Amino acid sequence: MKKILLIEDDLALSLLYEEELKNEGYSIVVAHDADSALELVRKEPFDLIITDIRMPGKDGIELIANVMGLRKDIPIIINTAYQSYKDDFMTWAADAYIIKSSSLDELKAKIKELIGN
Amino acid sequence: MIERYSLQPSNFNPETPKELVILSIIAQSFFQPFSLEDNLLVILTALTAGSGIGFNRAMLFLNDGMKLKAATWLGPRSPEEAEAIWTMLSSPGIGYAEIVAYNRDLVTKMVRDIQPRLKSLVYDLESRTLPLPAMAAVNKEIILVTEAQNEPAVDPNFINFIKVDSFLCLPLVAQDEILGEIVVDKGITHAPIEAKDIELARLCALLAGNYIYTTNLYKKVVEMEKMAALGEMAAFVSHQLRNPIVAIGGFTTQMLSSPCQPERCRRNLNIIQEQVKHLEDIIYKLSHFLKNTIRELKPVDARPILLNLVERPDIKLKAAKKTISLKIPENLPLIQCDQVYFEEAVVNLLDNALDVTPDGGKVYLRARPYNDKYVMIIIKDSGPGLDEKSRDKLFSPFYTTKENGTGLGLLFVKRIIDTCNGKLEVQSKPGRGTMFKLYFKIQERG
Repeated sequence: MKKILLIEDDLALSLLYEEELKNEGYSIVVAHDADSALELVRKEPFDLIITDIRMPGKDGIELIANVMGLRKDIPIIINTAYQSYKDDFMTWAADAYIIKSSSLDELKAKIKELIGN
Repeated sequence: MIERYSLQPSNFNPETPKELVILSIIAQSFFQPFSLEDNLLVILTALTAGSGIGFNRAMLFLNDGMKLKAATWLGPRSPEEAEAIWTMLSSPGIGYAEIVAYNRDLVTKMVRDIQPRLKSLVYDLESRTLPLPAMAAVNKEIILVTEAQNEPAVDPNFINFIKVDSFLCLPLVAQDEILGEIVVDKGITHAPIEAKDIELARLCALLAGNYIYTTNLYKKVVEMEKMAALGEMAAFVSHQLRNPIVAIGGFTTQMLSSPCQPERCRRNLNIIQEQVKHLEDIIYKLSHFLKNTIRELKPVDARPILLNLVERPDIKLKAAKKTISLKIPENLPLIQCDQVYFEEAVVNLLDNALDVTPDGGKVYLRARPYNDKYVMIIIKDSGPGLDEKSRDKLFSPFYTTKENGTGLGLLFVKRIIDTCNGKLEVQSKPGRGTMFKLYFKIQERG
């Protein structure tokens, strides 16, 4: 089973994503901030990372830079409410940029494209 | 040995050349709060004062984008009125402020008489053939007109208005932009306009042009700041509202797309209800933040407010497992602010301090006079403290570290303190807690 690390500080949203993606047959590990996410990346292997940009403490961009220092090969999806950074995500070494929506279809399709199921 | 001189131009001795006196009066504008209207008024006065450059009347035209429009006409209507102005201007100690006060009254009186007629002097800057006086502005050159009646380039309507045969057109130009024009004449003395009159008038026109240019630039900057704030607001709306909306939509879809277990359904509905409450909270705080400003600064007795504050039920509830250490001296001076907003500012910070302080920890609330000028209020928490990066972001709009924060609280605090002419200082280090120092100006007695 493919293992996804989800970083989302909003508790309701992280619960929604966790349930929906588990339904798709993925194993989901949730972190609510960048530091605990990095701790997890150091300890266990992941097939994919999904992260928000704006979070308390380190933001998503900083998190991606730190992950790159640990594990260059993990694909990363940015899942955020901000539209304004859409043009920059490639320079942060992310693989996809998705604007949060109540329909999770785009996110699910992108995950499938990157790691299959 | 050292000698000291005031930066502000002071009284001149009678031998000082009149040009220097005029320019130094104009230069006093640098020590006044910037007012385009007042600055132009002083320049027009300098141009028309008999003891000054020697013109009698000055008409100001302004470029409103497409058209050059007459805005003000300053000067005496009769030799008697001229005499009165000259006497006023040659009295000792006369300066910028006195001229503004005197002339504002004069302009108001004059404008009432001639304003309707002045409005008829409008020139379309886009038009191919422009008569004088507008031609000078478009050509960006100073033009001296003599024997105006016989000069076909002069607008007959204008001659009919000023009723003189000789006048000087001074374009107001800065950074190659046409900003307006000043037309001066010697309609009272009927003396000829000489070369030295033109030299000093040129300098006045350059200054006036720059005043207008600066004002326009300032307006543009304010406009740009508003747009930037609007952009930030849009980002905020998109982020803060999108999260709860996505959650509401997502959990609703979940319930609709598969048979819903009663327990799961109930949980989803609870989450949706919470998210709606959060949306309401955001909208309330946002409209509160945008709408409210302090209208008038009043003396505020901070002590009873601070003492009552810790008794507020919301604060007491938050402080249940923590200690608030309170030290407010009895003879605390009155401060300049607004009672309601002062309380709001302190509550905001106290609320934050309680949020980050762990159970069993202490929050400090202190007040004392500082430096004879300020009352200093200190709010210190025993929380995790902030690193440099978070400290820098502290006052950026919509920055929050709280699960349900709006990122407007500290911005609101800062705005209150700015409006009260106070100061705000933050000291924080990771592991050492955060201390806010608010300085409010002491209300002077009488």
